[in-house]
Amino acid sequence: MSFVLRCPNCGPREVTDFGFGGEVIRRPRFRPSFRELNSYNYFRVNVAGVQREWWFHRSGCRAWFIAERDTTTNEVLFTARPHEVGAEGNRDQ
Amino acid sequence: MTRLPVKPGERLPVKPGERLPAQPGERLARDRVVGFTFDGRSVQGYEGDTVASALYASGQRTFSRSFKYHRRRGLLCCAGQCPNCIVAVDGAPGARACTEPIREGMRVEHLNASPTLEFDAMRAVDVVGSSLTPPGFYYKTFIRPRKLWPVYEKVLRHAAGLGRVARRHTDRAWRTEYRRRHADVLVVGGGVSGLRAAASAAELGADVVLVDEGPQPGGAAAQDGRHLTAGPLEEQAIAAGVEILTGATALGYFDGIVPVWQGRTLHQVRAQQHVFATGTIEQPLVFSGNDMPGVMLSGCARRLAALYAVKPGHRAVVATTSDRGLEAAMSLHEIGVEVAAVADLRQQSGVAAETLRKLGIEVLPGHAVVEAQGRKAVQKATLAPVDARAPSSERAFDCDLVVISGGFVPCTSLLCQAGAKTRYDPERGHFVLGELPAHVHAAGEVAGAEDAESSGKLAGLEAAHLIGMGDLSSRQEADELRARMAELAERLASVLAPPAVCGERSGKCFVCHCEDVTAKDIRQSIAEGYDSIELCKRYTTITMGPCQGRMCELQAVRLMAQEIGRNLSDVGTTTARPPATPVPMGVLAGPPFEPAKRSAIHGRHRELRANVMWAGDWRRPYDYGDPEGEVMAVHRAAGLIDVSTLGKLLVRGPDAGEFLDRLYPNRLSNLKPGRIRYGVINTDAGRIVDDGTICRLDEETFYVTTTSSGAGAVEEWFSWWLTDWDLRVYMTDVTQGLAAVNLAGPRVREIMAEVTDLDCSNEAFAYLDGKRALVAGVGCLILRIGFVGELGYEIHCPAAHGEHLWDALLEAGAPFGIRPFGLEPQRVLRLQKMHILVGQDTDSESTPFAAAMPWIVKLDKEEDFIGRWALERYSSDTPATTLVGFTLADGQAPTEGAVVLDGAHAPIGQVTSSRFSPVLGRVIGMAWVPAGLASDGERVTIADQDRTLRAEVRTKPFYDPEGEVLRS
Amino acid sequence: MSLGFLDVEAAVKSERFSPVARSPMERLARAAGGQFEIRDGWAVAVSYGSAEREAETVTRAAGWADTSHLGKLELQAEPELLEAIVASNASAPFELGCAHRAAGAWWCPLAPSRLLVVCDPGRLAPVRGLLEQAVGASDVPGSLVDVTTVLAALTIVGPAAREMFARFCAIDLRAGATPPGAVRPGSVARQPGVVLCEGEDRFTMLFGWAVAEYVWRQVDEAGRHLGAGPVGVDALRPLAAPVEVSSGA
Repeated sequence: MSFVLRCPNCGPREVTDFGFGGEVIRRPRFRPSFRELNSYNYFRVNVAGVQREWWFHRSGCRAWFIAERDTTTNEVLFTARPHEVGAEGNRDQ
Repeated sequence: MTRLPVKPGERLPVKPGERLPAQPGERLARDRVVGFTFDGRSVQGYEGDTVASALYASGQRTFSRSFKYHRRRGLLCCAGQCPNCIVAVDGAPGARACTEPIREGMRVEHLNASPTLEFDAMRAVDVVGSSLTPPGFYYKTFIRPRKLWPVYEKVLRHAAGLGRVARRHTDRAWRTEYRRRHADVLVVGGGVSGLRAAASAAELGADVVLVDEGPQPGGAAAQDGRHLTAGPLEEQAIAAGVEILTGATALGYFDGIVPVWQGRTLHQVRAQQHVFATGTIEQPLVFSGNDMPGVMLSGCARRLAALYAVKPGHRAVVATTSDRGLEAAMSLHEIGVEVAAVADLRQQSGVAAETLRKLGIEVLPGHAVVEAQGRKAVQKATLAPVDARAPSSERAFDCDLVVISGGFVPCTSLLCQAGAKTRYDPERGHFVLGELPAHVHAAGEVAGAEDAESSGKLAGLEAAHLIGMGDLSSRQEADELRARMAELAERLASVLAPPAVCGERSGKCFVCHCEDVTAKDIRQSIAEGYDSIELCKRYTTITMGPCQGRMCELQAVRLMAQEIGRNLSDVGTTTARPPATPVPMGVLAGPPFEPAKRSAIHGRHRELRANVMWAGDWRRPYDYGDPEGEVMAVHRAAGLIDVSTLGKLLVRGPDAGEFLDRLYPNRLSNLKPGRIRYGVINTDAGRIVDDGTICRLDEETFYVTTTSSGAGAVEEWFSWWLTDWDLRVYMTDVTQGLAAVNLAGPRVREIMAEVTDLDCSNEAFAYLDGKRALVAGVGCLILRIGFVGELGYEIHCPAAHGEHLWDALLEAGAPFGIRPFGLEPQRVLRLQKMHILVGQDTDSESTPFAAAMPWIVKLDKEEDFIGRWALERYSSDTPATTLVGFTLADGQAPTEGAVVLDGAHAPIGQVTSSRFSPVLGRVIGMAWVPAGLASDGERVTIADQDRTLRAEVRTKPFYDPEGEVLRS
Repeated sequence: MSLGFLDVEAAVKSERFSPVARSPMERLARAAGGQFEIRDGWAVAVSYGSAEREAETVTRAAGWADTSHLGKLELQAEPELLEAIVASNASAPFELGCAHRAAGAWWCPLAPSRLLVVCDPGRLAPVRGLLEQAVGASDVPGSLVDVTTVLAALTIVGPAAREMFARFCAIDLRAGATPPGAVRPGSVARQPGVVLCEGEDRFTMLFGWAVAEYVWRQVDEAGRHLGAGPVGVDALRPLAAPVEVSSGA
């Protein structure tokens, strides 16, 4: 795995510059049921295809951003600062 | 390198083999003789020779012994493609003699033959033992009786593999360095089309790297009389600024990075556009004895003559599916090789055959070579009609050279790795390139283009255009070239595909030279049910040898298609995977990068002869040679430990308090400036991830410390949540910017008085106070906390002053008996206080309730916080297991990880920490036990390897249980 | 309570204590023949014995100098405030990836709400004053932190500088991609870092204080085969006034 990600602050860097934060998930806005809580804590979609995910520019500006990536080809469709992608990028919506 | 300069006309002191007169494109510097040894025998060649050309000139015909049957193998491709001339150079196995340039004094040795290349005992496998070694024999013939397997295994292990890697590290150490190269365009292959592509992209302004395996670019042009085209193109490319890497192999395509191995450098080329001008690979024909020394591809014979002025033989038989073989026959004739006969597999031979006939060379259309025979090398070749129905007119010719040409297949391995698709083209008789990804271009023969220059130019222009270079006229030119290439493609003559097997007589008929797989083996594999190409590959190991399928894949597919009655498209090809070329592991490993973090005081620790250990990614003193003495110094006088590794985070802003309230289960917004509170960070699942202290410096600033290994993760965790919360908070990780020491022990107030004017009385500076002051003249933050259980001050200062602070404290403390102490004494001290180490005493499933810290969770906070929902549930449940302390009446400390047993000897928990406490005089520890056993005085059994220990449960700290010492 | 405990300049010399600030690479520099002087409270490797040889190294191949004593300030605030500060102090737009040289300092925008200022050691106090004043005068919150000792630094100068970086750094530092004035946060020797292009063939690389010894060894390993060597800070020519502004990250 040696694809390139474009950090919204720093520009394109090798993937090894970044930390992977997993797929974008939503934290329940209100007190969840036990089932909802467990599903939020432990279940992921794990899609074979395009997913929105968190990345952290660990070796650079140390900022989190959102990427859309095809998990089967590692093609990165876009990257953006969390607020730029709005609701989809937000765990709390 | 020592060379023997020779004046023109002077007789050479040694003779570098039989050579032809100077050839127009030869690579030899005939005035420089280079000497090396082959299996101890000294051999001379000219500068510019390869190991193989020099050896061939000296009369060597056998270059290796084959993998399984130990048959003699000679030069087949002379282009670094096949396995036949793999040798060891200076003790390192795996070099290809045909591409390895000779160097003065180099030591070349054969592989896979014992005792000698000429007499190989394992040859018996071929003569009598082939029935023992069918495909997959290691699953079949050597399994019974089972008792003998250790013997078989030893023998088989000895027989497997090619060459020996030196056992001693120093004998196989070599240095490879990585070199990152960013480029606009990478061109792989330095033939005419590659050079043209590189030059035209560079002329439009692109930054271009060109990679070629040969000692100089030129590709096929170098050997077939077009060397005069390649030279000027190379100059043009250099003038345009192309970086040309010669003797360099592109190893694969990894998400856009192409590693290029060039001697001791591994270039990691990251280009935006890729042009592959990798050419074609000439294919052998399959017939009995086709692996015999003296049987070689037409390109091999031509390279030997054209590049190295070596006469490949005296009397040749040629068998070919195309004009290339006829051209080779012509070249051989020109250099004085007698051409006994040419078997043209095509029924119609065309103009070239007429030219040969005029020279008196016999051309047999519709014929193939069906068998080669000889003892050490080929002595006789038999030709017969291809069509079995034709009247038999089999003829045998004496010869010492059989030149074969089974067609040319595009070298698509790298292209396929880069995402290109291939499809079978019946017109061409092989797999051709289909769809290419946008950033991938193919130029020259690999793309099936006969006009190498135009094809290269088009690829270069297109690559440059795609990165925004070029102009209207270059785009017009590209359009014209594209139209022209399409037109030429229409007019390509069809190519004859040879039969899967030309002739199968008494001798073995090899499909795969690397792994010694015969046509019979493939049939057997199919008969046993392995009738898809991927299964057959895994079963027979065909395409898995050093040639990576270059010489055998198409033959295997063709044979399989024939045997199972399908067409080649349906059979398909095996998946192209990196590396495209065998490469030593050491090259890929590269130079060592072992990042170590060191405290600013680390130099002092080394001078104090600390035993240094890894602690996460830090190097830390384990102890200073006397862990018990160091523990006792802290209890009786004073100790000083470097705790610079603690994570340190500044959290600032008007909403900093609220931010921390949301991250920690306890409340921090009501912490008063100058006060400290302990905190545990949980996930939303209520599991402990880190702990540390938080000191409020002012209304808007908190100083958060984390565990040494958790600093980075905590910063990431905090900033992740911050992206989601609309809070005015700024964070700065100052971990590496501050040195920190913990000064602890009953006499530390006296020491502090020596180095600071700050009032350190208990009244003025209470437990869990944080104050700023000058210590030894340096601006410091002083936190009164008690990780080790004695009165203590954690002093933080700029890292650049760390050593100064350390020195000053040791000097001031000397009269009071201060000693530096390391990580191990600290572990004993903290265990006495039952202070947990996150990650050692807790794991990813531990909750604050189970870890006996229910007081840290403030469920009465109004606000939501991370982990709240899960912790609310756990607060009402009784945890299954609980973290407790234990002591042993006597005996040694159990191993950390030892099992806690119940009465019936069933495991019910485990020991997480245990040490002998010198101040208490007994073993203490912490362990997870069932909640029912978590009260003082309960007895548990600990099984530690072969020992059984009786332990007593404790729930309060072992030392100073009420914290009176800490607060005094 | 202020953050003075992060501030090297908070140290006070007295009869009893004379604190000297030290680079984490001091021992390695001394072992390589570095000669030290105290400048602005720092022990600085000013030369390696021969100014001529060092000048030659820098002209012919490349030299690296320990510049960890450079002042470094991190200012985090709302983008509008940072834009105003860069505009008034460096007369330049706030553009990610583009640093500007003004008032003896490099003004390096690293993120929309984060500015790193790297200055000559003697300029630390006045630059800090400027920034404190700017934040104080504004009604939006901001955080100014002295990160001088968080980040160690090596300045690499010479025609082989880019080739040296290519041995331990994957950032595209070709002249076209990283012109003078470009600032590139990213991995150096597999550690978090920042590369600042200060001029033709001149780069200052910032990295964690605690990994400095390791980074020095990597630089040494990369440089040795290219004819590079350590040089004193006196072998670095003073930076010319404003360098041409680069574009794009």
